[in-house]
Amino acid sequence: MVKLKKLPDTVENITTLDELKTAMGEMRQAQEVFATFDQKQVDAIFYEAAMAANKKRIPLARMAVEETGMGIIEDKVIKNHYASEYVYNAYKNTKTCGVIEEDKSYGYKVIAEPMGIVAAVIPTTNPTSTAIFKCLICLKTRNAILLSPHPRAKKCTIEAARIVREAAEKAGAPKGLIRWIEEPTLELSNRLMQDADITLATGGPGMVRAAYSSGKPALGVGPGNVPAIIDSSADIKLAVNSIILSKTFDNGMICASEQEVIALDDVYDAIKEEFLYRGCYFLNKEETERLRSVILINGSLNAKIVGQKAATIAEMAGIEVPPATKLLIGEVENVEPTEAFAHEKLSPILGMYHASTFSDAVRKAQRLVEDGGLGHTSSLYIDPSKQDKVQELVQAIKTCRVLINTPSSQGGIGDLYNFKMAPSLTLGCGTWGGNSVSENVGVKHLMNKKVVANRQENMLWFRTPEKIYFKQGCMPVALDELGHVMGKKRAFIVTDQYLYKNGFTKPVEQKLTEMGIAHASFWDVEPDPTLQCAMEGVKQVRAFEPDVIIAMGGGSAMDAAKVMWVLYEYPDVKFEDMAMDFLDIRKRIYSYPDLGKKAYFVCIPTTSGTGSEVTPFAVITDERTGVKWPLADYELMPNMAIIDVDNMLNQPKGLTAASGLDVLTHCIEAYVSVMASDFSDPSALQAMKLVFEYLPRAYDFGGDDLVARDRMANASCLAGIAFSNAFLGINHSMAHKLGAYHHIPHGIANAVLLPRIIRYNAAEAPTKMGAFSQYAYPHAKARYVEAARYCGVAGKDDDEVFENFIKKIEELIAHCDCAGTIKEHGVSEEDFLATLDEMVEQAFNDQCTSANPRYPLMSEMKELYLDAFYGREPSSYED
Amino acid sequence: MEEIVTRRNKVVYRDGDQIIKVFNETKPASDIFNEALNLARINEAGIASPQVLYVNQRDNSWVLGTSYIPGVTLAELMEQHPDRLDEYLTMFVDLQISIHQYTAPLLQRQKDKYTRMIRSLTDLLDATTRYELEMRLEGMPNAREVCHGDFNPTNVIVADDGKLYTCDWAHATQGPGAADAAMTYLLFALNDQDVAEKYLDLYCKESDTPKQIVRNWLSIVAASELARHRKSREDFLLHWIDITDYQ
Repeated sequence: MVKLKKLPDTVENITTLDELKTAMGEMRQAQEVFATFDQKQVDAIFYEAAMAANKKRIPLARMAVEETGMGIIEDKVIKNHYASEYVYNAYKNTKTCGVIEEDKSYGYKVIAEPMGIVAAVIPTTNPTSTAIFKCLICLKTRNAILLSPHPRAKKCTIEAARIVREAAEKAGAPKGLIRWIEEPTLELSNRLMQDADITLATGGPGMVRAAYSSGKPALGVGPGNVPAIIDSSADIKLAVNSIILSKTFDNGMICASEQEVIALDDVYDAIKEEFLYRGCYFLNKEETERLRSVILINGSLNAKIVGQKAATIAEMAGIEVPPATKLLIGEVENVEPTEAFAHEKLSPILGMYHASTFSDAVRKAQRLVEDGGLGHTSSLYIDPSKQDKVQELVQAIKTCRVLINTPSSQGGIGDLYNFKMAPSLTLGCGTWGGNSVSENVGVKHLMNKKVVANRQENMLWFRTPEKIYFKQGCMPVALDELGHVMGKKRAFIVTDQYLYKNGFTKPVEQKLTEMGIAHASFWDVEPDPTLQCAMEGVKQVRAFEPDVIIAMGGGSAMDAAKVMWVLYEYPDVKFEDMAMDFLDIRKRIYSYPDLGKKAYFVCIPTTSGTGSEVTPFAVITDERTGVKWPLADYELMPNMAIIDVDNMLNQPKGLTAASGLDVLTHCIEAYVSVMASDFSDPSALQAMKLVFEYLPRAYDFGGDDLVARDRMANASCLAGIAFSNAFLGINHSMAHKLGAYHHIPHGIANAVLLPRIIRYNAAEAPTKMGAFSQYAYPHAKARYVEAARYCGVAGKDDDEVFENFIKKIEELIAHCDCAGTIKEHGVSEEDFLATLDEMVEQAFNDQCTSANPRYPLMSEMKELYLDAFYGREPSSYED
Repeated sequence: MEEIVTRRNKVVYRDGDQIIKVFNETKPASDIFNEALNLARINEAGIASPQVLYVNQRDNSWVLGTSYIPGVTLAELMEQHPDRLDEYLTMFVDLQISIHQYTAPLLQRQKDKYTRMIRSLTDLLDATTRYELEMRLEGMPNAREVCHGDFNPTNVIVADDGKLYTCDWAHATQGPGAADAAMTYLLFALNDQDVAEKYLDLYCKESDTPKQIVRNWLSIVAASELARHRKSREDFLLHWIDITDYQ
């Protein structure tokens, strides 16, 4: 048998891959225990750890400077102080355990979970402060952290981690949550990043690239090359001294520190004078050239100058400067990478540029940022009231931080000069810098957020016109309100030729005249109104400038008037956009303009069918293309509906039958729709009951039976209210296409399909059910039965009631002489089959389909069409 | 048998239509077989080069036999006609770029070779510097272009018919051509910085490569050159290595 190499059981120091593997195993165990800690326990550990690091800030700073030979002890003390105190302060009250966010009314909850083991790559420039920062944010988020120090700074990095670890363990943290690689090698770092759950990489691009290619998520950050523009309006003293403060900080080793000053011509000399006055050294031409060769070696930064004092660097270039010199400043012109001063220098060396205008300064800053500082930070000194200039820079520059009047070393790391910016020693540079984050890295990046989302019902509303007048003789009363209450002055009447020529509009006109309301009429609306007709009408509307539009007629006149209303108020609307299908009318992409600004909109129906007087729908056909635009939006809802049977006495028999059956389909579909609600149900049920009771009488006796006519008018309007809110279903989807392709009157097309669609929807195991939050399970059958009982249908059980309901519907259809198959309604088999597939696809795509309780397959719709064409025996339609 | 040149670790002879490289006794067998194998792969890739003929042993030394290409080296021409330097450099750069167009999938990977060389420098570079170099190398892009690895005018033969041949493929790898150009730049710079700049300008222009891309490789190729242990060049190379990444 092969003997596998045995891993060490337990590991003190990590120096080999095997030891790393064992150590990470141990860390996982510790972290699993830590993951069960609550916020109180975690906060206690976070507190003690931050305290301990803070106490040791001076020895740690001293160690870092001694070990790396870079930087300034006093400044590193501040960094350590910042990394412990500011980070603690920023996150002390942040919730990182359990539920961190909850919205009960939305049934939404966010739970924080740790990520596991964080691999932390620590740079040489800020070793102890970065180690403290990363250890603290890992403790706060219940993660374990394994540090990979830079070999040049390993002792102080490890010491910082050890201090945090000891304090954390003393405060109750599981042992071994914080560990480090003793002797960093490429193999160990790479394996660490591959086996950890996430890498927090700070340092040079090589390391960050390695983190991103490890195959595990990484929070890497990019290099900076920060230009500072000083505008003519700036406070020069504040600007120059801020830059000196920032640039000399830790001998210029902060990645956010200024690298180039771009000074506007008119203040250039004043800026230079202030730099000189404060102890900076301006290089002459020859010195500038000499320093260039010291800054760069083959285009890369000379390691020897990093974090050194200005005088030390000057000496390397053979330049004599006073020992206390703060900054070495080279006055240069070239912003291309061939210029050494245009690079990040990680030392107290500045390049200084002239700018002739502010735009010139912005252009130079843009270019400099591209020389290795994309996504990092830029800086601007300016009178804050010059917002146009601030905006110019903000819009042009590709940096994730734009600091205004702020020393950038201190400003970039946050919470020192701006108290909304998160304190961090790991600054994201966004995709511009090849990073996954563009902000300052903090605790939020080290938590997995688990969202617990309850099933919630859609918030619904119930919409109707502001006023609905009903009862015989209500029209003059309603019109009276227009004049005497609302004070309308100019009315425009939209109607069709038949009604106009036969004097139907006369009573309206008389009443308007009586009240001194000027009026005009458009009477050219034809059935299936066209966009061209509406355009023609709107010309007159515009010329007349009404403050009220009155639509009188059937669905066509009311639809045409709605479109004229839109075009009158908003001449530039796009019908393609307005007619765009939606899944949920409240989430549609297109937002309708606010109607009613110019004119109040009144509907007076003369037929009982469409319910258009109370619906937010209109259909208009583009004559040139033949495209039908179905418009739907609550903006299209009329302001006032006047249901007066006196206007409806003369409906022909056929129209009474067809439109009456349309009303029945409206209320049945609205009642079983997935959007049906307690608010739409009563209208639907009552309308249904009225149709069963009064349609036969209205059909038989016409205008002679005033009561039947009146109740049918109410039924039509109630059904309109129901389906304005609950919408329809595939009965209408399919009827629309039968009408469009084979010119079967809409009501008849509905009736031909209705009994079959009811059976289809009633299936208890449909292929697919409608998807809508409040629609919990397929229950259309129960709804049909409920409706049937309301309409007086009886039976020994639900099945019998259901069958009797269908029978009752079929009897009503027969009574109205509308029975028969599609074929019997005059469609030839050849024509029907030739258009079938197209009809199926379009019916499937119809706006009405989405509210159907059963989500249809196109193959099923095809069968339904064929059944209704040939009059096949209905099947059960179960899946 | 006519002696052509004597180098640190070998003597090169011409014997009729053959070139015979006789290596020092200390040269390990694997080096000779490696060079022969590299040359065979280059021959098979279709790059104009001497044909590999045999490897055998003579008096405890390994011997590599290749075909002889009648002509002169580009280095000799450059020396004889300094006024035509620009013209020769153009030929040289074009040849190098054309070699980079070839692939030889079984050649050693450039990163592996450089990593090995960096790691061998324990006596000259401290662990920190080696770590930084390795890290930088790790972050460099990968590519499959044939790189000669020691491309300089002494290794280019202008044949009597005017055709160019490249010899001495001991350091060949597959990797980014920019790294190969960095090595050539370094070899020029060791002798003459001006010619080196001329070369870099030309290479970057002809291959449409930003200079920074080539320069990014310089610390790494300098380390690899350092591994050849030529004392006189150490200070120069160490200076090139002593850089830090922007952060």
